[in-house]
Amino acid sequence: MINNHKFVISLNAFLVLIILAVNAHSQAVNPLESDPRAARLGGSIFRAQCATCHGADAKGISTLDAPDLTMSWVERQLSEEEVFQTIREGIPGSIMPPHSFNDTEVWMLVSFLKSVAEVGTTNQIAGNSDRGARLFSSNCSRCHRVDGKGGSLGPELSNITGRRSQDALVRSIRNPSANITRLYKPISFITVGNESVQGTIKSEDAFSIQLMDSNQVLRGFSKLDLRELRREEQSLMPSFTESSLSDSDVNDLLSYLQSSRSP
Amino acid sequence: MFTNKFIKLLCISFTILPFGQSIAQDNDGPSFEDLLNGFNDPARWLTYSGDYSGRRHSPLTQITLNNVDQLRPVWTFQTGTTTRGRGFETTPLLDNGVLYVTGSNNYAWALDARTGRAFWRYRRNLPDDLTYGASAPVNRGFGMLGNQLFMVTLDAHLMSFDRRTGDVLWERELADYRIGYAATLAPLVLDNKVIVGISGGEYQTRGFIDAFDPVSGERIWRFNTVPGPGEPGSETWPDDPAVLATGGGGTWMNGSYDSDLNLIYWGVGNPNPDYYDENRPGDNLYTDSIVALDANTGELRWHYQFTPHDVNDWDSNHMPVLANIDWEGEPRRVVMVGNRNGFFYVLDRVTGEFLLGEPFTATTWAREIGSDGRPIILNDGSQGCLPDPWGSTNFYPPSFYPGLDLFILTARETCATYVPEEPANIQGQSNFGGTVFIDAEKGYGALRALDVHTGELEWEFTYPSPTFGGVMTTASGLAFAGDHEGNFMAFNAETGENLWHYQTGSRIWGAAAITYMLDGRQYVLIPSGTTLQAFAL
Repeated sequence: MINNHKFVISLNAFLVLIILAVNAHSQAVNPLESDPRAARLGGSIFRAQCATCHGADAKGISTLDAPDLTMSWVERQLSEEEVFQTIREGIPGSIMPPHSFNDTEVWMLVSFLKSVAEVGTTNQIAGNSDRGARLFSSNCSRCHRVDGKGGSLGPELSNITGRRSQDALVRSIRNPSANITRLYKPISFITVGNESVQGTIKSEDAFSIQLMDSNQVLRGFSKLDLRELRREEQSLMPSFTESSLSDSDVNDLLSYLQSSRSP
Repeated sequence: MFTNKFIKLLCISFTILPFGQSIAQDNDGPSFEDLLNGFNDPARWLTYSGDYSGRRHSPLTQITLNNVDQLRPVWTFQTGTTTRGRGFETTPLLDNGVLYVTGSNNYAWALDARTGRAFWRYRRNLPDDLTYGASAPVNRGFGMLGNQLFMVTLDAHLMSFDRRTGDVLWERELADYRIGYAATLAPLVLDNKVIVGISGGEYQTRGFIDAFDPVSGERIWRFNTVPGPGEPGSETWPDDPAVLATGGGGTWMNGSYDSDLNLIYWGVGNPNPDYYDENRPGDNLYTDSIVALDANTGELRWHYQFTPHDVNDWDSNHMPVLANIDWEGEPRRVVMVGNRNGFFYVLDRVTGEFLLGEPFTATTWAREIGSDGRPIILNDGSQGCLPDPWGSTNFYPPSFYPGLDLFILTARETCATYVPEEPANIQGQSNFGGTVFIDAEKGYGALRALDVHTGELEWEFTYPSPTFGGVMTTASGLAFAGDHEGNFMAFNAETGENLWHYQTGSRIWGAAAITYMLDGRQYVLIPSGTTLQAFAL
């Protein structure tokens, strides 16, 4: 039996929202968009119903093939209505099932997902994009690709400002080792032929490793052929301190990236 | 619910059957005697584990330590149905050159065991509003007796098929799927009973084990895993019929059987809600326990609870492994369990007496079992992370290697933080009661061999990520296992040396290998992703 004061309050808030959301079904726009309680209640539903596959932080669980929902909005450019329909109907042929939540509950989930979504920078970044292009060419383009030009050891950065906040990008430039994403984890080892190899791991099993080496060549190795295998904590990307890139330089760089086209 | 279609099917089945005679007696399929004989006929694999013991230890010896590196794929069957996020968890059954295979989303097939080509296919027309069955649309295999096959469904039914055609003979509802019930296990078939359990412990459900008459489809007995008010065990729950009626305790993994004692051994799952416990003080029997039931009546003979008052979703739905071993100088009939809570247990299977409980992972939850048979809890989650809700191992089969006396299982080392939250307790919606933060960077898997007399680790082979693959051993000294990265592998069962591996292209999740002889050739089969792969020398 549930006889808990907190629960009763939550339920009351929930019922109020239901009443407010009468006739909310099948709308293209979230009718709860302006209600701050919707994201909070949606978060409760998410943790109870969705977190097993998508993770408590909605960032997905790669071993379950459950996607990072914080990136869905910008990477797949989904509308609120499309997110609503995906929750309601599921994804045929996948483990994502249809859900029988009522419309208000689905909109609460949409509100929650919107609240945790990675968002890009919408404001114009103050900087000199021409100078930023030169800085990018001299410091970044060996490993990063923009507008079809550059290297592939690091992530593609065309219009990255549309997918990441300015603060997050500055943190990545100043301290890239603080948060290295899954496909860019650094590794080093020596082969049976005494070749010293450094690169980023793309895949690994008990017997083999697949990586991109520092020359940006995709290579596979049997673990039997390797020694001194080290999983580095330092990113292959150097840290750009203020002595190497001033705040003004960084703004110029971000201004250039903002001017690039979406990949 | 009797539908018109069902009544027609029932009429047809009565038309075919002479009065009073069972299908099993009239046809050439395996009898109960054949099921009891287990591995005696190397051209058969008739039950989930190959015999009733749950050991998954085949006597076949054509593939050896010396030639296993020559093992090659000989055919691949593509199911065309996927369970993204879970696995192809079935164990095929084999008789007379035909494999009987269940798949995800309640697909099923009869396949030529020499080529993988299909004789017939079946697909259940499932409702759109599945509950638990939508989140885990898996199935672990058929049961077989005579010319009948038995399969449970995601909408919580038990079905019987004619194995020659795939035609449905009868079906029975186990429970209302809309509440949260589903069924995914491989039925345990005895002489005149088909025994099944139920999934859905994350919902407002109450677990049970049912026995059905294989011919009539009528239910013979039911054992409720959460007692009713006033029944033995109810003192471990609050005095509240509503809590008891939704106490969880799923029975979603099939059990094993001792014909001498006429006892079935079955694991029971988590209490509901999984993580939030304020409404259910007490040990919450018989959740997270093993129960020994009289096969004729379903009466409880004994139980042992591995995780009293579970708040981590550590179901005890494991294959109970039966063996007769020397125990401190005396022969002893034991049942062994590698448990989701991180401990390996040996119990006397006649009485349920606790004999051994030792950790097989680095779990900090507990490091020893007290003299009263209860874990001595060291970390309730406030002293650092705990094994995740998938546990230190799970339902996927382990194997016992007689002679070496090794219990070989896939272990998961994980790090999770549990945050309970009062659930909504709404019928038809999952009811975990909180959320779990898993530190994926700290997880890995390992194939581990334990000395059954001491629980000590004899050897291990590690995997990059927490793994869900099962194990099979053969009398030639081999252990076959699968991992999360998709490798199907053979090991020296005594030393743990890896002797062979094959990258199947998809994780091996919840499945373990089977092996059989056909035309003088030993085959080894493993489900992986959307394929069933056969190997031979």
